[in-house]
Amino acid sequence: MQDESAFIKELLDAKTQNKAFEALLATYQKSLYNHIRNIVLNHDDADDVLQNTFVKVFRSLKDFKGESKLFSWIYRIATNEAITFLNAKAKRNGMTNADFQEKKIENLQADSYFEGDEIQLKLQKAIALLPEKQQLVFKMRYFEELKYEELSDILGTSVGALKASYHHAVKKIEEYMIKN
Amino acid sequence: MNSFNLENHPKINSGFKTPEHYFENFSESVLAKVSLEEKPVVSLFQRRKNWFLAAAAVLVLGIMIPFLNKPSDSQNIDDATIETYLAQSNISQYELVNMLDNEDIDALERDLAMDESTLNSAMEYNGNLENYLIE
Repeated sequence: MQDESAFIKELLDAKTQNKAFEALLATYQKSLYNHIRNIVLNHDDADDVLQNTFVKVFRSLKDFKGESKLFSWIYRIATNEAITFLNAKAKRNGMTNADFQEKKIENLQADSYFEGDEIQLKLQKAIALLPEKQQLVFKMRYFEELKYEELSDILGTSVGALKASYHHAVKKIEEYMIKN
Repeated sequence: MNSFNLENHPKINSGFKTPEHYFENFSESVLAKVSLEEKPVVSLFQRRKNWFLAAAAVLVLGIMIPFLNKPSDSQNIDDATIETYLAQSNISQYELVNMLDNEDIDALERDLAMDESTLNSAMEYNGNLENYLIE
């Protein structure tokens, strides 16, 4: 992609770097925030992870080989940052990842930055019961509406495996919604 | 609810909201973080450390001055070199004699240790010796 390679050059050139990085922030901040927020659930954590993600992106720009799209590379960094953040926080609290997530879902009801709709909360509870990879695939496909090809590039998983993962996730969620 | 089909159900949003003006300030805070990383802060301790290092360097140089200014080691010139120099220079015997002090003369007498017979034969062969004695 010609435009992207020119933009990457601007990001790497000390003279144009700041302006290009501002443009990168403007392009990705909202979608990346949503992506991270879907994983870590509360705003303060999402803010921390989003800032760390952009700092890491800036620091790693010189190592960006252009083997994948800039979009996929940035999303991969954000996903890793969010998952690492969650795992570390669960460990600090002496909880398993599943227990920690359950606690976060409970906290959502009192979160002023969560709409608190009954069906939204129920869906979040259903998602929290899925295996980690299925959760990620479901959130990225259903909430963020990313294409399977984009998901494949970000997560390094084949489109077929992602489709199967999403299908299983939907079935489990539907079962939960019926039972509860 | 006996059946639930997610694909047919109206889209359920994640339900997450962001604080007002969050994104307006977000870029600024990230850019501030990044620019701080670009220009590493030199701590007060580090600045002091640089001054200490500079002072220590000056002190070491000061101590080294007497050693650096040490004159060439003339005392190590051997006797043969001095003899060659004197033989090739235009210094007369009189000038050389004038340079000798009493200690040198005593030393010469000890080194030469001339006995009487040698002295007498030298006086026989040297006709001008009387002139020296008169002086």
